[in-house]
Amino acid sequence: MLNISFGRQWQQCGGVTRRDFLRIGSLAPIGMSLSSLFAAEKLAATTAAAPSSARRARAKSVILVFLGGGISHHDTFDPKPDAIEEIRGKYSTIPTTVSGLRISEKLPRMAHRMHHFALVRSGTHENDHHETASNWVLSGRFGSPFGDHPSMGAVVAHETGFAGRMPPYVVVPKNPAFTWELGKASWLGGRFESFSAGNPNEKEWRVRDLSRPPGVSDETLARRKALLASVDRLGGRIHGNDQLDTHDEFARKASELVLSPNAREAFSVEQESASARDAYGRSEFGQSCLLARRLVEAGVRFVTVNYGGWDHHAKIFEGLDKKLPEFDAGLAALVTDLHNRGMLSDTLLLVMGEFGRTPKVNKDAGRDHWGRAGSLLFAGAGVRGGQVIGTTDKEGAFVTDRPVRPADVSWTVFESLGIDPKKILLTPEGRPVEILDQGGLIEELYV
Amino acid sequence: MLGTMSSHSHAFARLGLLTALAAIVGICLPCRANKVATALAPRVMPASIELDGAGDEHGLLASWVTGADCTRAVKWISSDPTVVSVGDDGRVRAVSGGRTLVWAVDSNGTSNRVEVAVRATTGPVEPSFRREIEPVLTRLGCNQGACHGKQAGQNGFRLSLRGYAPELDHRWITEELSGRRINPADPESSLMVTKPLGRVPHEGLVRFDEGSRYHRTLSAWIAARAPGPKTVAEEADPVALEVLPGDRAYRVGEKQGLLTRVHWPDGRKQDVTWLTQFVSNDETIAKVTQDGQVTVERQGETAIRAHFLGLVAVVRVTVPQSDPVEDWRFGKPQNAIDAAVFAKLAALRIPPSPRCDDATFLRRAMLDTLGTLPTTIEVETFLEDRSPDKRSRLVDSLLVRREFADYWTLQLADLLQNRRERDHDVRGVKGVRSFHSWLHGRLTAGVGWDRIARDVLTAKGDIFENPAVGYFVTLVGEKAPPESEVTDSVAQAFLGTRIGCARCHNHPLERYTQDDFHQFSAFFSQMHLDRKEPDKGATQLVLKSKERVERHRRFEEVADKLGVAQAAFLSASGDAAAQARKELSERRQEHARLKRELEELDGRSPRTQQPRTRQMVEARALDRKAVVWKAGEDPRIQLADWITSTNNPLFAESMVNRLWKHFLGVGMVEPVDDLRASNPPSNPELMSVLAKEFRASGHDLRQVIRMILNSRTYQLSSASMKGNATDRRFFSHYQARRLPAEVLADAVAAVTGVAERFDGQPVGVRAIQLSEPQTGSYFLSLFGRSDRVTACACERKGEVTLPQLLHLQNGAETMRRLADSDGFIRRLARPKRELSEAVGELYLVALGRRPSRDELEPVLASLDGVPREDGLRDLAWALLNSKEFNFNH
Repeated sequence: MLNISFGRQWQQCGGVTRRDFLRIGSLAPIGMSLSSLFAAEKLAATTAAAPSSARRARAKSVILVFLGGGISHHDTFDPKPDAIEEIRGKYSTIPTTVSGLRISEKLPRMAHRMHHFALVRSGTHENDHHETASNWVLSGRFGSPFGDHPSMGAVVAHETGFAGRMPPYVVVPKNPAFTWELGKASWLGGRFESFSAGNPNEKEWRVRDLSRPPGVSDETLARRKALLASVDRLGGRIHGNDQLDTHDEFARKASELVLSPNAREAFSVEQESASARDAYGRSEFGQSCLLARRLVEAGVRFVTVNYGGWDHHAKIFEGLDKKLPEFDAGLAALVTDLHNRGMLSDTLLLVMGEFGRTPKVNKDAGRDHWGRAGSLLFAGAGVRGGQVIGTTDKEGAFVTDRPVRPADVSWTVFESLGIDPKKILLTPEGRPVEILDQGGLIEELYV
Repeated sequence: MLGTMSSHSHAFARLGLLTALAAIVGICLPCRANKVATALAPRVMPASIELDGAGDEHGLLASWVTGADCTRAVKWISSDPTVVSVGDDGRVRAVSGGRTLVWAVDSNGTSNRVEVAVRATTGPVEPSFRREIEPVLTRLGCNQGACHGKQAGQNGFRLSLRGYAPELDHRWITEELSGRRINPADPESSLMVTKPLGRVPHEGLVRFDEGSRYHRTLSAWIAARAPGPKTVAEEADPVALEVLPGDRAYRVGEKQGLLTRVHWPDGRKQDVTWLTQFVSNDETIAKVTQDGQVTVERQGETAIRAHFLGLVAVVRVTVPQSDPVEDWRFGKPQNAIDAAVFAKLAALRIPPSPRCDDATFLRRAMLDTLGTLPTTIEVETFLEDRSPDKRSRLVDSLLVRREFADYWTLQLADLLQNRRERDHDVRGVKGVRSFHSWLHGRLTAGVGWDRIARDVLTAKGDIFENPAVGYFVTLVGEKAPPESEVTDSVAQAFLGTRIGCARCHNHPLERYTQDDFHQFSAFFSQMHLDRKEPDKGATQLVLKSKERVERHRRFEEVADKLGVAQAAFLSASGDAAAQARKELSERRQEHARLKRELEELDGRSPRTQQPRTRQMVEARALDRKAVVWKAGEDPRIQLADWITSTNNPLFAESMVNRLWKHFLGVGMVEPVDDLRASNPPSNPELMSVLAKEFRASGHDLRQVIRMILNSRTYQLSSASMKGNATDRRFFSHYQARRLPAEVLADAVAAVTGVAERFDGQPVGVRAIQLSEPQTGSYFLSLFGRSDRVTACACERKGEVTLPQLLHLQNGAETMRRLADSDGFIRRLARPKRELSEAVGELYLVALGRRPSRDELEPVLASLDGVPREDGLRDLAWALLNSKEFNFNH
């Protein structure tokens, strides 16, 4: 019933397409209800899905640490100690738990945990624009700066649905943004957007609107529900309206979330011991990592820890002197904690920015955007730690071995979760679109 | 038979009656050409064709009187096989020069004919690079973005994306790889042939078959020593593309072959089906193969696009539902809108819902027109009014209210991106506010959209004398205008069309080329922002490029020096006099030279550089007509003339499409700001009715809004019924949708009786009155107000999200307002009234109606024995969480 012609989908032009285009579409079907659409989609999934994904399905959840702005690979995981000073930068290197692997001296805690990580030094693409590159690496598909394609978290939300009471896709503290929000659900629509947790390092932090307002007793709540049931009759008269259906679905989900002690607890970092909280570092990033671990424990499938501020065009070493220790502490604590709790076996931890930075330190003592090369870290869920994949040239400018492209990273994430990256999803207008149009598993991670 | 033949044209007569007769009789047709049979004879398209020499081909289509395709069911016969042969598929092949007829004959022997003329040519014609080779590469997908068309090329071979740069393509094909791609001595060994044939390994697999027309054409071109692209002067661009058989209705399962013909400036019409790319806008309704074979999949309507050489044409595939709609269901059409909408619904057999009730109409019209809920008194007055024309009188009264200007200022401010500039805005908050109140003033005064557009597009000076300058201040920022987002934004905001793609390569779905984009951006090339920080004075928009500002400054300096030299000469004597004379003469020459240069520069038409060709291109509108320039004229005046001209359909269409979406929930064209030939409106007649009304009214927004509000279409119930529940495109029922952020915020304020306080705003300022999208408000961000970062209408988000529902259920601020000592609930709870009366009033405020008896009963039962204020607060909570409150329906 679904006849899909591959390879002849004309892409919308870059720079113009926004979700609205796909949400309503140029000629939305008249004969197809949402439910029949989903049914068609399921059919497409069963006919098109390649079962090969199952063999890699080791991750229950994914934690993505997103280093927005673009962390410098020279000054962290791909140092070039033999290069001239303008390229080498200020930092010396230190040995790690992996023999032969040295990383920046500013990452001593990570140096002790590199045996957990597969370090990919050959991340590469051709875009140096924050928004465009971020949407690219967050979705695995190239598109306009405004996000033509659903981000990985939204696809995971779409494919896995709610895990009990917990929303499937949570971002701590909130979605990446330079000027506008990135990492969004695009045409998948509002119900697959990320749930923002806020900054758990703030005093009296609480996830917004997640708890019952003070003074509302069980009795009051029951009465309100009863009243709402008698008041709200509009839905009975209108069929085929996705917004109305979404309202009902989320109304139910919202009240379940509020009533669920598990859900509330998942968000309560204050239940952690002071020493555990200290280990992660009392920073926004540290506490976000801690919250990410709690959320994964509670069943959230995709957590983005959004840790921006790496866009060091000027005075990079002053910036990194401040940021790297907090990054080092938080990430090292997270991997240790996941390991100690036995969660690393089924949690995939992925650390990346939207691009690396230029080899040469510029006149303002900074480094600029550089999509051609950047470093990524993978850990957990079957990833063999203690290895380095790919290399860059002696200046850290170009990838010389095993280029890893955004689509490869997303492919690996999807396959790790048991989601077929070539699965065909239908846009609301009925247009069949593959989750990823290219890419492949980074096999070396599992060798 | 003879009767039919006597009506044949002059051309036919010249063929010699006897030859034709012999040909026809010779194949023994049953001669039953009576009138009825002729009427039932297969229809043939096109009526006549011309072929360009032996070997040229042209397809024909035949259809039954029902419209169904019978091209392969009829017998095709050539009257003169020495002129043309014709295949079972209706494909005509020229054999030699001459004229003849081709007949389509059905099994009853009824027939129709096509006139064929074949031009005599001498020897083979060499294929044209631009007209044939590029289209072959495009049709076969070689130059698409996923293959050789991507910027890096594919496996060392690069082509321009969909052939936007023929001169580059020719160079890459012929000069790279030391000529292995083409070998004129042995065309068959060229990679350009062996790769797509799959004779050697090709990652892109086999693209065409041995001996196919693609194969023959490429070989012939290589054999002719691969001639490069001719200039447009030598080889004109095509003028139009047509797709046969045109729009028609289909049944599910039907098939139809498409035929495309390109019209050349010399009048020749050439079959280019084999070079056309076909794309269905909705493959779930109708699929189309690469060869243009359509298969209808299910009910609905879609367009099939045909692309050839930058031209695009569409055919509409309409697939009605099975049961016709009874006439009475349409009720009485109120105006031309209804005629257009109902005709489309009848054609598609989609039944309209009945008319909505008065209370629903009042709430709906007030929310859509004013962004404001009706008050209790307004509801009661309207419901009590018994006069038959009360709805249209209400409409008139809404259009003159202050809230109308408030709400439509918000809409236009979104469109014109009135925001503080990203990094730092030289206007500051003041500038954003002044532009906002400028728009408010225009709307209050009922100034037409054409006038507003013109004032914005030609604004100059500073924000104090002309707040509309803010539009360019925000968009241009610190860039040179042609490099800023101005070009994209102006096209999207005022013409509802997206040309941004063409900045870097030709538009994939529209005829816009890179030249078009840069010619359009050249209109802004003379704008210059003399930026000043707010504390250092006002930023000025001047109509002088940076270069001109600089040259004028130098000219002034030279003029000063000339004055000094003149004075020196007059006062000098002796040896010094000779020196002074020499100096003066030099200064005079320099002055004259600079003056000439400056005059030349000032008189120069606005232009900018096309980055690919590096040519300076002169400003031209998207219709590509050359503009006549007057020296010193602001080029933007000509631009505004063209944009707002009543001859430019996009200006009116884009605005009425926006208005239609605003009121009906879905645009005739979606996305609402993506008007292009390849994305036709769901109801073209409706588009034309509204655009006509808009132009006739002097681009008066109120007049079109009045027409929409008074239509029966707008007044249809949102309740769906059998046969129309899934319709979102043809307006069979009102589309219930979540209230926009600002309107919802104000509605919550109305129900709680406590207004939200906005930072930096006096108490009582409503959300719909806010000028700045950056005004801090969790609520407004949560419910998706526009950030105004781009001109895209999609910046405003209407979707429903989980955090929104959490906020509606638990938002502490809303709860506080429900308990406020000055709030509405506290007042309502005063024990003067019956509880049922208080409940009724709460319904009136929140939902704009009284509860029905069977609604009231369970509510009263739930509130029984509960302290009155607590109970009413709980009811208010329930109402605020209801879909009926959150949605306009």
